[in-house]
Amino acid sequence: MKYFLHIIILIFSLVYSSHAVEEINLYTSRHYESDKELYKIFEQRYGIKVNYISSKGKVLIERIKSEGEGSPADVLIVVDAGNLWRVEQLGMFQEINSPLIKEALPEYLIGENNMWIALTKRARVIFYNPATTSKKDLHSLDYEDLSELKWKNKIAIRSSNNIYNQSLVASLIHRNGYDSTKIWMKKFIENFARKPQGNDRAQIIAVSKGEAHIAIANSYYIGLMLSGNQGVDQQKAAAKINIHFPNQKNSGTHMNISGAGILRNSPNYKNAVKFLEFLLSPEAQKHIIYNTFEYSVLENVEPHPLIRKFGISFKEDIKSIKKLGKNNARAVRMMDQLKWH
Amino acid sequence: MKSIIEKTLEKLPILFFTFISLIFLTPIILILTSLFQGYSDSWQHLFQTVLAEYLTNTTILVAGVSIGVFVLGVSSAWIVTTCDFKGKKIFKWALILPLAIPPYIMAYAFTGLFDSGGTMNNVVNSIFNIDENYNFFPSVRNLGGAITIFSFTLYPYVYLIAQTAFTNQSRDVFDIARTLGLSKKSTFYKLALPLARPSIIAGLMIVAMETISDFGAVEHFAIPTFTSGIFRTWFGMNDIVTAKQLAAVLFIFFLSFLLIEKYSRKKIQFNLSLTTNRELVPIKLYGLKSLLATIFCSIPILIGFLIPITQLLYWTISFNLEYFDLNFVYSAINTISLALISGIFCVSVSIIVNYLLRMKENRPLSLINKAISSGYGIPGVVLALGVLDLFSLINIFTDTMLIGSVFGLILIYSIKFYALPNSSIESGFRKINKSVDDAALSLGSTKLNLLKRIHLPMLKSSSLIALLLISIEVIKELPATLILRPFNFDTLSVSAYMFASDERMVEAAAPSIAIVIVSLIPILLLIKILDRNKNE
Repeated sequence: MKYFLHIIILIFSLVYSSHAVEEINLYTSRHYESDKELYKIFEQRYGIKVNYISSKGKVLIERIKSEGEGSPADVLIVVDAGNLWRVEQLGMFQEINSPLIKEALPEYLIGENNMWIALTKRARVIFYNPATTSKKDLHSLDYEDLSELKWKNKIAIRSSNNIYNQSLVASLIHRNGYDSTKIWMKKFIENFARKPQGNDRAQIIAVSKGEAHIAIANSYYIGLMLSGNQGVDQQKAAAKINIHFPNQKNSGTHMNISGAGILRNSPNYKNAVKFLEFLLSPEAQKHIIYNTFEYSVLENVEPHPLIRKFGISFKEDIKSIKKLGKNNARAVRMMDQLKWH
Repeated sequence: MKSIIEKTLEKLPILFFTFISLIFLTPIILILTSLFQGYSDSWQHLFQTVLAEYLTNTTILVAGVSIGVFVLGVSSAWIVTTCDFKGKKIFKWALILPLAIPPYIMAYAFTGLFDSGGTMNNVVNSIFNIDENYNFFPSVRNLGGAITIFSFTLYPYVYLIAQTAFTNQSRDVFDIARTLGLSKKSTFYKLALPLARPSIIAGLMIVAMETISDFGAVEHFAIPTFTSGIFRTWFGMNDIVTAKQLAAVLFIFFLSFLLIEKYSRKKIQFNLSLTTNRELVPIKLYGLKSLLATIFCSIPILIGFLIPITQLLYWTISFNLEYFDLNFVYSAINTISLALISGIFCVSVSIIVNYLLRMKENRPLSLINKAISSGYGIPGVVLALGVLDLFSLINIFTDTMLIGSVFGLILIYSIKFYALPNSSIESGFRKINKSVDDAALSLGSTKLNLLKRIHLPMLKSSSLIALLLISIEVIKELPATLILRPFNFDTLSVSAYMFASDERMVEAAAPSIAIVIVSLIPILLLIKILDRNKNE
């Protein structure tokens, strides 16, 4: 029995351990080590301790819901605009009151009623190997064109469990309507070079090895591969690859964001605002995108040179960002029906 | 005065048990209550589109893995118990090593090895001077690949159980069988196997549930299974109620299977009245037979341990040695303390419960004990949702926030893995002859004294084995840890996940290796204890 007493005392002392005076509690589904370094910089500069927990977005949402009014959560960072929309719909965010932020960001990167803000942008682009696919073949190629017969057995893309694919389809549903997207998707799936498998990087590697002619993947992965910190093989594979930005003559290339909001029951609201303002400072933005190879949400912060060389002045699809969440479930169901695994 | 204290103390265990079973069972019940909530049109959608495929894939996966672990586990256990051949002593313990590698990490390693551009393909291509784009090995990202990785990481459960069962089978039984004219082969099929059946089935159930509830590995291989469907319904279709309902259906299916198995086992009763229990004398193998035995036992160790470890080590040394800094030390300490605390907690609970059951044959009590041992029938994340619901209720009624406390983690590990220590303690108690109790009580010992001075010392090695088994599981656990952990609290598996979810597989190797090394501590201790027990 003595054992138990000790354990119970230990457990409760851990439960009730006291917190520091100035702090914010951050729930994040951005898992980058470099983000942690950023929190350290913030702590040193403002004397506000950043407590964080990281997990998948939907999981964090459930945890905050269960915590209820007593939730210690101040800031929630999620990847994918659909997730931001979801939290907004659940009424879990509160307005971010900051003139600084309003000035820094364009309207399309701020949620309805200032409920959330975008932190970084990523483009879902088409990767190709100039040795096997000429630039001419890709000339003014749109996502919509990928259903054409000429791409039969040539497209590499990952499984539809992935939220980036779900969002891409959601944006197509928003733009072209449900029925038209479904017709497109049926043919698009028939063009797959192989059963969807692996992560985004695996698709790029497949193109470099000639297993597929084009791959659809997020822009920043090529930067990670080129950086060489994932090995020489990946670096060599990436060096063969070029990027095509689709839909330049109409809607623009499909964009997604990672973003943040302040939770309704936030106990440290002021600190949370300070934290978000800090994340939008040019210095913090540069730190983030130089490590993750994403695009900054600030006009004047240029991407990492490895990304910059693929071009920065492409047209972005900014209109559908806020519509992704609404169409996500429909996109998933469509993928189920047409057996895109 | 003293007798009052003694009396309350004797009531204490039953109160404690009631309290514990309430806490253990509520999350499971909360998930089951989802079945009484409305059914959304997601069900119709699932029926019409993917459910059949989820079920087919899951069935093939579980069937394949069951056959795989049965062949690997039972035959290797039979060979090392009944035969004597070169390297047998090493194989006996080395066959347990793959237990240190969680299936999701094995999946990372396997894709690194066998994908197009993977290490093994590169090796073959450079040896035979083939074009670098050629793939010698077939893709592993399919059902066959998944069956392989689960079989080679999970067979040690069956191996451990089967080996113990075969060792405990009395030599006399086999001698009689032989004199009655049974060949070696039929001794195995007609006698040894049926005798060991209950334990082997128990092992297979654990393996089957681990396979079914896995998310990490099947997600990495992009195989739609029932559990990945639960996640897709939750994450993709935003329908958490249906997700819980799916998990509840899975759980009911699992319970029915347990019941069917139990019922069918009742029909076959064995009564071993032989008491001499002389130990089996292994048959010495020579020449080709000895070589074959060596090769057969090397395969699981090679594929399940040495090859993936080499790949992970290569990645770690080449890309992420800097992982092993102060943060790593913290993560390792967190992991180890969680394993120890949950282990001690679970073992204590199971000792108390089994002691109560021993003192008083009590049907409801034994049923509840079975119920709280069923937590492994629910995928970790869904179980964690149940715990969140429970904590939410506690918060509403008592204003105590348990979400994000270490207590939450210990609780979820205990619910999920209670079956492991329970079965170990149960068999430990069974080995203590009841006449010992009678003798002690009739000589005036109190029940508490009986537990303290007779049972506990005799349960020492069972308790240690139980503690080690659950520790190994806690060290490897990921999904529930991700949801319930406190702020700024990483475990080794969380670190591995962080890199992997960012598609930084080569960097995920460092924490993965750390998981393997830390799990090896309890595994090696386990091997030592098992060995010592045998020599006693």
